[in-house]
Amino acid sequence: MISASDLKLTFGKGTPLENPALRGMSLTVNQGEFVTVIGSNGAGKSTFLNALAGEVMVDSGTIIVDNQDVTKLPTHKRAHRVARVFQDPLAGTCEGLTIEENLALAIKRGQRRGLGAAVKARYLDQFRSSLSTLKLGLENRLGDKMGLLSGGQRQAVSLLMASLTPSAILLLDEHTAALDPKTADFVLELTQNIIAEQKLTALMVTHSMKQALEVGSRTVMLHQGQVVFDIAGPEREGLEVKDLLGLFEKQRGLEIDDDSLLLG
Amino acid sequence: MLSEIALYGAIETGLIYGLVAFGIYLSFRVLDFPDLTVDGSFPLGAAVAAILIINGVNPWLATGAAILAGMAAGAVTALLNVKLNILNLLASILTMIALYSVNLRIMGRPNVALLGEETVLTPWYDLGMKYHLVPVVLFAIITVVCLFLLWRFMKSETGLAMRATGANARMARAQGIATGAMVVLGVALSNGLVGLAGALFAQSQGAADVTMGVGVIVIGLASLIGGEAMITPSSVFRALLACVVGAILYRLAIAFALNANFMGLQAQDLNLITAVLVTLAIVLPGARNSLVSRLSRNKA
Repeated sequence: MISASDLKLTFGKGTPLENPALRGMSLTVNQGEFVTVIGSNGAGKSTFLNALAGEVMVDSGTIIVDNQDVTKLPTHKRAHRVARVFQDPLAGTCEGLTIEENLALAIKRGQRRGLGAAVKARYLDQFRSSLSTLKLGLENRLGDKMGLLSGGQRQAVSLLMASLTPSAILLLDEHTAALDPKTADFVLELTQNIIAEQKLTALMVTHSMKQALEVGSRTVMLHQGQVVFDIAGPEREGLEVKDLLGLFEKQRGLEIDDDSLLLG
Repeated sequence: MLSEIALYGAIETGLIYGLVAFGIYLSFRVLDFPDLTVDGSFPLGAAVAAILIINGVNPWLATGAAILAGMAAGAVTALLNVKLNILNLLASILTMIALYSVNLRIMGRPNVALLGEETVLTPWYDLGMKYHLVPVVLFAIITVVCLFLLWRFMKSETGLAMRATGANARMARAQGIATGAMVVLGVALSNGLVGLAGALFAQSQGAADVTMGVGVIVIGLASLIGGEAMITPSSVFRALLACVVGAILYRLAIAFALNANFMGLQAQDLNLITAVLVTLAIVLPGARNSLVSRLSRNKA
């Protein structure tokens, strides 16, 4: 379970570029929930994810992961509970390391690293069987450099790395946005499969309202650093993009002017 | 042509600079941390070892102390960068400058002679080897041991975490790696190796001098880049091998250049030759690639 309450964060405080990114954001994600997060540019989606991961520190509010207050902890001290896939397909893996070395980094996520060999013989079978679920033939290329793989392949491996060890929450930051449509569909399907199979708790930021409704079990919309609506269960069934827009206008008395949200 | 003594001498210093190149590989290549501390940690290692030896300390212990001193210097540079957010290059320059004073303090004078003192080399002279071969054999053993240990380390969990820190710090943090601690450890190890090189250099040359560090960074980089041009660093082992091969070839090239009387080069031209060789080592691999692609394009 992960719980954020009343998070506030302002970038560039006291400068002409002062930008309040989070203005009292609160959200609780229960065990096994798959939450999709939408919102227009500047709504605070990425900042919220970065705050949960520890990449940015909030000015006030608390973040609780599995009953531990992690608000003040840096990224690497939360990593054993928080897994993450970035938007940039190149950001989640090290291109200069081999596929097996990248997986060996991930299998030790958040644990002590000693002087024993990083790539142990007993890991290899696990690596091969995990990679074979991708159906990309990567299980036979364990010793290849990550840089030889395409963006889509690398994002698929990033996803695998994030799910190699248990975590309290999996953060997906528009992780299909930088891929071509076909590859994006493949990675999204893979995401759904992994989350369903391992019963993961996940938070996926997306730029597409359609995707937000089709995927996951709950949808949250952010606007100006706050949650404007939060729908799940029967209420969410059969909902379409135009219903979401109606909900938004009812809540805010505003019209959405971000075309990319409507068209996505 | 090269005399036997000059040849052995070139290999001997090449092996010492191979250790420096290991250190520079760690900082520049693994951690992507341009570290100029080495110009100070090389004479620091020499100064610590020399002053301990003339005070009767066992030369191996003195050499160990030199390694620790180098590591401390590296840790200072890394902490200036990690904790105080000083730009890595500037942090290393600050430490380097500070070490000049520290080295003078350690030695109490600009240089310390080791003539007639017991060094790590002394017992080896009694083994009946050719006099000029002794340092070559001992330093080759030390270099091979360091290469092996570094190679194992790079393949370990901590070593892999260090490589990830240099290659993609954001990803490393997301995997739970304390990237700041990795930078401190890596730059400390790097300068520990350079301190070791300085200690061995002082013992083989018979003196430690406060100015002996000038240009060590350039020689180390020349060795690293030259070695990489020779042996493609497609794996950690090949990269480490490239450091040693590059350093020895570099010293041989210098020795040939200085011995080739017809060219009229003299010892004072050393730094000029170094700069030219480094430039060539950086430019030539790129020029070769563009030449190859131009030729293949013409064919197509």
